[in-house]
Amino acid sequence: MWFFRAPTIIFGEEALSYLASLPIRKAVIVTDRHLRETETPQKVRQALPEGSQSLVVGDIDDEPNLEQMTHHLDAIRTFEPDWFIGVGGGSSIDTAKILFFLYERPDLTVYDATPLVNLGLRKKSRLIAIPTTSGTGSECSWAAVLTETTAKRKHELASPEIIPDYAVLDPDMVISLPAEQTKNTAVDAITHAIEGYVSNWRNPFSDAFSEKGLELILGSLPGVLAEPTNRKLRANVHIGASMAGLSFSNSQIGLAHALGHALGARFKLPHGKTVGIFLPLVVEFNSPVCGDRYARLNALFPEAYRAESLAGSVRNLFRAMGQASTVSEAGVGRAEYFAGLEELVSSASESTGLATNPRDAGTTELRELLTRAYGGHG
Amino acid sequence: MAKFPSEEWASEYVAKLNSNANYEDAAKRWEGSITLVVRKDAAFDKDAYIYLDLYHGKCRASKFSFAPEELPTPEYKYSGPYTNWRRLINKEIDPIQGILTGKFKLEGSMMTIMRFTRAAKEMVATASMVATEF
Repeated sequence: MWFFRAPTIIFGEEALSYLASLPIRKAVIVTDRHLRETETPQKVRQALPEGSQSLVVGDIDDEPNLEQMTHHLDAIRTFEPDWFIGVGGGSSIDTAKILFFLYERPDLTVYDATPLVNLGLRKKSRLIAIPTTSGTGSECSWAAVLTETTAKRKHELASPEIIPDYAVLDPDMVISLPAEQTKNTAVDAITHAIEGYVSNWRNPFSDAFSEKGLELILGSLPGVLAEPTNRKLRANVHIGASMAGLSFSNSQIGLAHALGHALGARFKLPHGKTVGIFLPLVVEFNSPVCGDRYARLNALFPEAYRAESLAGSVRNLFRAMGQASTVSEAGVGRAEYFAGLEELVSSASESTGLATNPRDAGTTELRELLTRAYGGHG
Repeated sequence: MAKFPSEEWASEYVAKLNSNANYEDAAKRWEGSITLVVRKDAAFDKDAYIYLDLYHGKCRASKFSFAPEELPTPEYKYSGPYTNWRRLINKEIDPIQGILTGKFKLEGSMMTIMRFTRAAKEMVATASMVATEF
């Protein structure tokens, strides 16, 4: 027995206008520092039903910690919202999930959000996610990631009850996404599709979403990078990224995410960049136990990038996109990296991604992968 | 062959666990006792308990009993009906998915457990190494 869980998804041109049909009385709009000054929050406010009130929480940092995520909680409780709307990338949507959870259950701490307990949410409010990047999959997932600044690690919270009620995939919200973010988030989405497809918890539903999601992303991403304002191609990547999110959310992440979270938290690197460094290495590591499944995904790669192995194809694509292929290329100094190697091993070893990765990886294997990922002679 | 659940099975399980390098690696930062609770069902007529004192990748002490009051109070409890334990040991159920689907129940700090899912997986893998008679 297993489940397939998903939000109601509204997609395509003018998807944002659907908000007007929802019974929204008071909405908390959660967005980040970069988007706050743009017209995006205003677009969302204008799409709300007439007469509804909104409170904008607009100072979410990239890779936020718990304090940054929750310092408006008192104001939110006073406001008494009936909806939370996360608008932005993974950080904004994950923050909306955590604020929604803590508003619903003030008696619990954020660390009580695990899939092993019934939280009983949605007594006071509901949750909408409007992604402005195409890649994190947070709009469809049961996960929220927060950075633990002191421990320099990322904590993965998960509960089926923090899956948004609605995910709004409007291509207008990603049409002006800068090239660097377009690339990093697309790499994240590709990693979701590939890791979800070989997870120990994979299932026919996650398989289908991985395959179609990857097909949409690979078929349109080069075009988006060449012609960023092409709405049709943007919509394909946007939908493909959410499909990849639905895959991993229903089958779980793997080793590339375990390692990527460890690296990103310690060196403050963008999530897509870190998982992209590890993905080809992890594909090679896992290939002895799931090579047939990787071969099926490899066939989806456009000929221009397709190599004999999936790892080779991924490397070709990422290289063409200008992504860092090693930790060294990502700008981390050798001495600094290797001084913290054991902490990286330790952090990665406590990720849930290890239990669902198709091939067992202990600390020896993690250390080896982290060493190889640095590049050069390690 | 050791009959599950029994004192003999628990002893063999602990011996296997303490010689499992993968478990030791996955649980080297784990500190906490757990009682495995086998609930009676149509295939087994009484509750059984296996207490394990787990510390840094080793089992320091263990005890089997049909009476919970004879055992120390554990920090964690992992319980399910006998038939589901049989399926778990035969690797037909994943230990974490078993909780998510209601086949097993876990009591204790969920946050800590979620950081040791690989250790949980290795504990189940170890159980399947015991020559078991059901």
